[in-house]
Amino acid sequence: MKISLTWLREYLRTDKSAAEIARILTDAGLEVGAIESTGVAIPKVVAAQVLESVQHPNADRLSVCKVDDGSGTPRQIVCGAKNYKVGDKVPLAQPGAVMPGDFKIKVGKLRGVESEGMMCSSKELGLGEGADGLLILPVGTVTGTPLIELFPSEEVFEIEITPNRPDWLGHLGVAREAAAFGCGELIGITSPPVATKENPAVASISTPDASSLYSIRRIDGVKVAPSPEWLRKRLESVGLRSINNIVDVTNFVMYEMGQPLHAFDASKIDGALTVRFAKDGEAFTALDGKEYKLSAKDAVIADTKGVQAVAGITGGIASGVSESTTSLLLESAVFEPTVIRRSGRALGISTDSSYRFERGVDAQGALASSVRATELIVEIAGGTPAPELIVAGSPSPSRIVSLRSDRVRSLLGITIDDTAIATLLAKLGLKKVEVGFEIPTWRNDLTREVDLIEEIARLHGIGNITPRFQCIPAHSSEADKAYDFARSLRRRLSGGGFHEARSGTLTGSRDQAAYALSGSASVVTVRNPMGEEHSTLRASLIPGLLEAVSRNLRHGADAIRLFEIGRVYQNKHPVESTRLGIVMTGGTSPANWRGEAERSLDLFDLKGIIARLGSRIEPITFRALTQPSLPHLPLALEILIAGKPAGILGVLSPAAAREVMVGGHQGQIAVAELDLAALQATSGNGFSKNPKKHGSLPKFPAIRRDLALLMDAATPYAVVEETVLGAKEELFSSVTPFDIFSDPEGVKVPLGKKSLGIALTFQHSERTLTTEEVTEALGRIVTKLRESAGAEIRG
Amino acid sequence: MENQPAQLGVRIESLRIEALSAIAEASDSGGLKESRVRFLGKTGSVSLLSEGMRTLSKEERPVMGKLLNDLREAVTAALDAKESTLTAEADAAALATIDTSLPGTGAEAGSLHPLSLLVDRAVQIFRRLGFAIADGPDIETEWHCFDALNTPADHPARNEQDTFYLPDGRLLRTHTSSIQVRTMVANPPPIRIIAPGSAYRRDEVDATHLAQFTQMEGLYVAPGVSLADLKGTIEFFFLELFGPGTEIRFRPHFFPFTEPSYEIDLRTEALDGKWMELAGCGMVDPAVFEEVNAKRGDSVYDPEKVSGFAFGFGLDRLAMNLTGVSDIRMLTENDLRFLSRFTA
Repeated sequence: MKISLTWLREYLRTDKSAAEIARILTDAGLEVGAIESTGVAIPKVVAAQVLESVQHPNADRLSVCKVDDGSGTPRQIVCGAKNYKVGDKVPLAQPGAVMPGDFKIKVGKLRGVESEGMMCSSKELGLGEGADGLLILPVGTVTGTPLIELFPSEEVFEIEITPNRPDWLGHLGVAREAAAFGCGELIGITSPPVATKENPAVASISTPDASSLYSIRRIDGVKVAPSPEWLRKRLESVGLRSINNIVDVTNFVMYEMGQPLHAFDASKIDGALTVRFAKDGEAFTALDGKEYKLSAKDAVIADTKGVQAVAGITGGIASGVSESTTSLLLESAVFEPTVIRRSGRALGISTDSSYRFERGVDAQGALASSVRATELIVEIAGGTPAPELIVAGSPSPSRIVSLRSDRVRSLLGITIDDTAIATLLAKLGLKKVEVGFEIPTWRNDLTREVDLIEEIARLHGIGNITPRFQCIPAHSSEADKAYDFARSLRRRLSGGGFHEARSGTLTGSRDQAAYALSGSASVVTVRNPMGEEHSTLRASLIPGLLEAVSRNLRHGADAIRLFEIGRVYQNKHPVESTRLGIVMTGGTSPANWRGEAERSLDLFDLKGIIARLGSRIEPITFRALTQPSLPHLPLALEILIAGKPAGILGVLSPAAAREVMVGGHQGQIAVAELDLAALQATSGNGFSKNPKKHGSLPKFPAIRRDLALLMDAATPYAVVEETVLGAKEELFSSVTPFDIFSDPEGVKVPLGKKSLGIALTFQHSERTLTTEEVTEALGRIVTKLRESAGAEIRG
Repeated sequence: MENQPAQLGVRIESLRIEALSAIAEASDSGGLKESRVRFLGKTGSVSLLSEGMRTLSKEERPVMGKLLNDLREAVTAALDAKESTLTAEADAAALATIDTSLPGTGAEAGSLHPLSLLVDRAVQIFRRLGFAIADGPDIETEWHCFDALNTPADHPARNEQDTFYLPDGRLLRTHTSSIQVRTMVANPPPIRIIAPGSAYRRDEVDATHLAQFTQMEGLYVAPGVSLADLKGTIEFFFLELFGPGTEIRFRPHFFPFTEPSYEIDLRTEALDGKWMELAGCGMVDPAVFEEVNAKRGDSVYDPEKVSGFAFGFGLDRLAMNLTGVSDIRMLTENDLRFLSRFTA
């Protein structure tokens, strides 16, 4: 909301600068976001008359002028504008003037011709865009008059007002707060008292749910006309448009006292104005000419003819003030905030009035505002007010809130006595009474003890509270353990050359199903997305990572290794789980001067990385994915942790890869995703879960024996491994493949066959092995390999 | 066999000259090895001369023996000296041709996301004060996100314009404050937690707004917790995060779930030296405790007996400032040119 400093000073006697007032208000909780200045605040800019204007000798677009700036000596000015004529009066920035943007005016030469200043446009003076060219001043302007006098500057605060403080929605309320916080002295508004009377023939409330107070003051014999200059300027300074003197007064009082008012043309109203709920489907045409269909939940002001206003939100076009209006019915009321909020939202109308009623207005202030507005209308538009203010309902009685001073001290952590508390609260108009504090009517937000404690905190100032530092032992929670595990995983992966990605969890639905382990049926969607591209909660990390791959390829990256640790969502238990996603493509390592051949990353690079995430004790294993549910991953493996499925690993199908790759990129895109909780469950923070079993180091050396097997090309390595392990040789320790090849020519290896080199190690924990026993064990393994895997030993 | 001893002496002397010059001329360890065999080997020249000793008289033997011994020692010494010279030369030559100005090789280092780095710094600071981590779901009920946090039923934040809803009426949490509620419902006081996590608002995405953002929530509830504790904790945290010289300003504000409430502004060289609004905080509103009690079916969070503070701050804008990017979307675009700046 805009608060004009000039206007504020009507209610606040202060010698403080705008910046100081802004700081005090901000510290009090009225955050001054910006201080805007209107008008001209630049010294050494004066009104000057153009005496002559000739073409610049060296520049087509420039003229050379002689101007009179009231100093007696004509000045020579070079000027680029064309919109003036000799005799016009224009603003002249004299040498020494500092224009917006810290641009200093000096005597200088422009294309060889001396210029003793600058004639200004409205934009150059900071007066807004205006028309092109120089600002032409009124004919009657006296030359030499400083522009500061012609366009007095005015400072306006842009204040962020929290929803709990509707009393700040008027200049008086802000002045009250400023005074309470030591900004100066409050100058109240005093109006002569007026008699009130109930008269259901003029004003009545048929729905107390919607309004607790409704008042009407009749004013006859007014003359609707444009507003006087001072009123127009006030309204314009806070961004309002002047309409006519009657409407302007109601707006002025709203921005002064915070109370919205409405003036009906009395000649258009038949019978009493009544607050009631609308009938379902009742039609209404608002002041702006728009038609609305009302519902039974909308509170309205109606006469015998029908709806004349939507209560607290907008008046009707039929009974609004026009140029022919001579009698007014001035409404000032208190409407129920929830009713106004609901109607405003349902009808899609938000007005200055509804904004205030939604937050709650001051009942006493409603009557005072009516009196104040009546006074101003009579002053500006003439007319005679009815002797009495007709009131339906009644202002709620003033509230008393109790306060225990030990509560104040313990909650705020300060030492303060009862007297000091009462002194502080008195600054806000809270009166100490026997059982607590009496709350001023404009502070509807103060209803509980803690509300008063907050006020004491504000007035005491948090700056005056001595901070307390406490360190308390904390057990690590499950979330701590999960965080630490994820953290160590992040560090391991980044140490291994992976970059950590973070993608949005709201994505398009298209790719989610393609990679969702849980299947497409359980994808979670948002009812009110910001667009199709953000309509779905991700079911997999892979699509986001692939998008990153695509983007980085477009930016010229050639090797990409990314991982992400984040949540995925599904419509079944567990709804949310944390996964690790990995994607890699491109070369193994950057090209270097050694001339070593670069190899493309493939499935096995990623398989190795995943395998190394497991521990020696609980190794990660893999098995071919049986269900063909992931069409983009025809080559896919299920990741097993402790024998249970915990994720997938695969290579994108060429078609899917082409969608990710751009311009000439080739090679495999390997992706993996696995459940972090499953991975964490097998990790013992680096320690074995069964330390005794794995406690001692081998004391005796291992013996390695290599075998070269010739076998069917189609027989997977897994068959060999299973056979070797299945032999259950006591001395056998491990097997690993070290060489594999086949020959398409059928020369080195027969067609349809492959050669597989495997290394077997043998070890015993209590003795050194003899050559004979190893050879015997190896012989038995070879026999098994021949029988079960159809493997021959190559010579 | 006249003059035999004299002859032997001459031969010893000439062998010494021959051996020493051969050793001197040896240019590599192979040549030197040859010389060692040639002169000192079992059938080497010195050994052969020693055989001639047998023909000498008893008197001559010690004299010649000494001469031969001297010869053996001199040749051995020369061989050893030459060997160490050649080894030293070879060692020097082995390294001399290496151009050390060539760059190092190997795989490139990876990186951690700046938000992870920032979350981690924050977590480590709060852990030093004895805060444990708490967690909660992104998909929340309206009760956990709004009702329990004293947010009126017609509060604008609940609008479909501002909050993402699922078809079943659940929503994407608009703040991590829902984790406060979950933690209190599940555990009796004392509570001392922080909760990093995502939150969602229906903001149009632009250079300074994301519809999904990263927050860090904190809550401390115990008997006797005061505003002084809140101030101490917040000041400790931000001074640790940004270093001495950081100015912290508490500005009274309004949140439905805390009272008194403050916004926290910060000014530090690390953030351009301008005031920056960073966080919201306050003392837990008694209405929140009452809601939690009602859900729990007990009164362990009796506002007369316990009090607490809560705070929350967004990490994205902070990360944006600390990384120097002008577009917040950089934080979710995963551009390697950006990510690779943040090594672990």
